[in-house]
Amino acid sequence: MAEINTGGGGGKHDGGKVRSKKASTRVDMTPMVDLGFLLITFFILATTLSKPSSMTLNVPDKTKTEETEPIKASNVMTIFLGKDNKAHYIFGKAANEDPEVKTVGYGYEFRQALQENAKKVGGEKFVVVIKPTKLSTYKNMVDVLDEMAITKLKRYALVDQLTADEKKLLKDKAKLDT
Amino acid sequence: MPAVKIKRASSTVDMTAMCDVAFLLLTFFILTAQFRSQDAATIETPSSISGIKVPDSDIMTIGLGRDGKVYFGIDNAQNRIAMLDNIAAAKGLTFTNNEKKEFSLMSNFGLPINQLKSYLSLPKEQQAKVKQPGIPTDSTGAAPTNELKDWVFNARKANNGLRIALKGDNLAKFPEFKNVLATLQAQNINKFNLITGTEAPPAGWKAD
Repeated sequence: MAEINTGGGGGKHDGGKVRSKKASTRVDMTPMVDLGFLLITFFILATTLSKPSSMTLNVPDKTKTEETEPIKASNVMTIFLGKDNKAHYIFGKAANEDPEVKTVGYGYEFRQALQENAKKVGGEKFVVVIKPTKLSTYKNMVDVLDEMAITKLKRYALVDQLTADEKKLLKDKAKLDT
Repeated sequence: MPAVKIKRASSTVDMTAMCDVAFLLLTFFILTAQFRSQDAATIETPSSISGIKVPDSDIMTIGLGRDGKVYFGIDNAQNRIAMLDNIAAAKGLTFTNNEKKEFSLMSNFGLPINQLKSYLSLPKEQQAKVKQPGIPTDSTGAAPTNELKDWVFNARKANNGLRIALKGDNLAKFPEFKNVLATLQAQNINKFNLITGTEAPPAGWKAD
């Protein structure tokens, strides 16, 4: 109880008259507060507080093909999402040239690579092709799409098929068995 | 001269204010509460800087567990029953009223259609113990064995305004995601949301 009895109560006073003890009008709120906080705790734990956010993903229509102007291969950065949270990227085509495969981890390293290359190529011409391999996880893909939003690169594509040349390249240079 | 009695301060704490605060908070939490529904599987989503919130109503959620199992759910109990009726008619199955009611209470599920009936007839405690095998999908998205396709189709038939949210686990492998993507694309659904956690954007970053 949050109350300690202090006063003497209806004892004898100077006049000698015996007075009946007055009941206190104060109600002890302690149990009520206890109950209140118990319920609060319950509601906090039983509800979802932060609503999840979502990112929109638009994929091209598969039913119709559109003729587009070919893109210069040297402006295209192809990112392969590999295993163990590592990504590999090349410039140009895997087929005819012998591109240098660079490996980055997700996060800061990745963002830096994107920004540097975007600057080198020139923002407008820079195109990113994201190719998740079967070794990558869903998180990797979301991370990369998120990096695209962070670096504000608008021209990117998510492609889920690897060409034979790319498979070979990844196997030779990044030791990935895709 | 009698000794001066020092008036002792009362040690009673006035709890009224505290009580007021407690119940004010309680009222707030009750009114804003959205109960955590019993999910078929726990899915830990990756985080992104995207600030778009997931809509509250008219939403179809396709879950992708860490082991690649696919779960499906739509938000409204009425719509769930309508969806079940649609799919039962398409597959030539019948469900009793009790089974329908049971189904309308499930926020999501991951069962092949032919196991659904026996699952729904189980008592609640046993349902929780059943390991749900996930809804069958495939990489072409249109094969007859792809049941996710049927669910998506019939859910949209039950409620045309459904938006599609994809909730994938951190560790789900990409090929499984590709199967879900193929299923959606086969039905000409080209726009959907990926549910993610919220993460602070890097310093100095501004949305345009």
